[in-house]
Amino acid sequence: MTAAFEILAFAVSGFVAIAGALGMTTTMSMFRSGIFLMASFIGVAGLFILLAADLIGLLQIMMYIGGMLVMILFMVLVMHDPGGAMMAGMDMAPIERWFSAGLEPRKPRQGGHGDHGDHAVQHTDDDGHGSHEGHGGMDMSMVTPVRPAAAWLAIVVGTVLIGMLIWRPAWPVVGTLPDPDSAARVGHLLMEKYMIAFEGAGFLILIGIFGAVLLARPSTYPDDPSRSAKVAVDRKPEAIADDRIAPLAGRDRDHRAGDDGL
Amino acid sequence: MGVIVTAIAVLAALCGGAGLTSGLERLFVRPVWEPGPVHAADLRHPLDLPNADRWLLPAGPVVAFAGTALAMIVVPLGSGLIGRDLGIGAFYVIVVIDFVVLGLALAGWGANVPNTVEACYRIIAQLVAYVVPLGLAYVGVIMMARSLSTVAIVEAQRGLWFIVLQPLGFLLYLVTGLMQSYRAPFLEPFAVSIRGGVLGASGGWSALLWRIALAGVLFLVAAIGAVLYLGGPNGPVLPGWFWMTLKTYALMALMLGLGRLVRPLSTAEMLALSWKILTPVGLLNVLLVGGLILLGVRP
Repeated sequence: MTAAFEILAFAVSGFVAIAGALGMTTTMSMFRSGIFLMASFIGVAGLFILLAADLIGLLQIMMYIGGMLVMILFMVLVMHDPGGAMMAGMDMAPIERWFSAGLEPRKPRQGGHGDHGDHAVQHTDDDGHGSHEGHGGMDMSMVTPVRPAAAWLAIVVGTVLIGMLIWRPAWPVVGTLPDPDSAARVGHLLMEKYMIAFEGAGFLILIGIFGAVLLARPSTYPDDPSRSAKVAVDRKPEAIADDRIAPLAGRDRDHRAGDDGL
Repeated sequence: MGVIVTAIAVLAALCGGAGLTSGLERLFVRPVWEPGPVHAADLRHPLDLPNADRWLLPAGPVVAFAGTALAMIVVPLGSGLIGRDLGIGAFYVIVVIDFVVLGLALAGWGANVPNTVEACYRIIAQLVAYVVPLGLAYVGVIMMARSLSTVAIVEAQRGLWFIVLQPLGFLLYLVTGLMQSYRAPFLEPFAVSIRGGVLGASGGWSALLWRIALAGVLFLVAAIGAVLYLGGPNGPVLPGWFWMTLKTYALMALMLGLGRLVRPLSTAEMLALSWKILTPVGLLNVLLVGGLILLGVRP
């Protein structure tokens, strides 16, 4: 029974790890890509837990859920097409089509907005009339000719690694299980043997936080052009009335809309 | 077969706890207040969102429910009434409840509606706000109990509850626990202004799963708070499960009541509160507990 559970858990974890990695590289939506990468790491964490390294496995899950979600936020903030709405309309290989299933292809909006505004189209354009046709300056730079080469390189490296695993002469096998109370062992190692490295890393992170606060603080010299806000400002801003983003009601935007959200 | 029986028992405990929780929460809802995670959702009719992501939207409630069910495993409901006594139980709870945040983010983005996408952003920002002080609220207890196992933490409080020795840590846990369960002052991701966020865009089975998962989060936060600071199932005369239930729901009522005394905070205010007040308080608590341990004070 236990052995069957172990095999099942190994199969599920391995599948999640590999399918997640594959999905990460082939899906057209960057949001999904981040989620797939997270799933892949969680699958690897499952493998860690199966190897009785539960502390490392849980640390991995904690780091990657928080880290990937924050990374996705930044991706949505700065990327051209985080939801993959424009990329989904292109020719895709079967595997890309599989991992991008369900993405609604949208045409980019014409006129008015430049590239910086297009990412808002995907998840606000819920009234369904995508009437603006035409490929207005669609940037296809994500589809590079390098990709097949990268895939072949990955296959070669993978083959070499698996070959090394298979032809390695002898595997050292230990009969005993690792220490189940690994948290205490790791804690003692961090606070005794590796204390300098541990505290040094903590100090570096603290300096990093100081640097971030320093950079984010309001400028002392607002006239200094190097410190001006790095945002694209339209010369002639579009009227809000023409904006097809449905209004959000709220304390600061206090027109409580009737039924626009759904 | 033992595993399957345990799994069913844990799920039953979670559903029962979540049911009682939503009953208790009804008492703390007034029409003029923001309902937060008890925002109305249509359980009867599935909702058809034409632009929804057909993979991410249904994955959300399932992931969130799985997170609460996994966390429920290590909650000791009485002597011997525990799914599995993991050696790193307390840390495991912190990690596994993160799946609720992941589920909310998945469904928020997947519903593909402005309100839910806004809720997705807010939920991630809220995770950043609470995760560090929450960890610090656990650390004081773990230092004194000298173990991460929930059973060992309960055992360590046989003589004296940790709330007496670490009142600061308990206060910190109250605030961060409310943040982790999206209750009263920290209900920005479920605000009325974005029509309940993810809840407003759910219907049918997904609304039911959200109900269980969101009530389950509050139940878990209160139960873990009872384990960490109130001695868990320890108590005289009456059986352990009775004391555990009593402490859990008393703590929950305290948290919900205190939360309603403050006006709801925006996500930015939550982040400011977390970094400027809660994190320093947590570090101070760790320092105080370390001093107590060096002085030889133990329960």
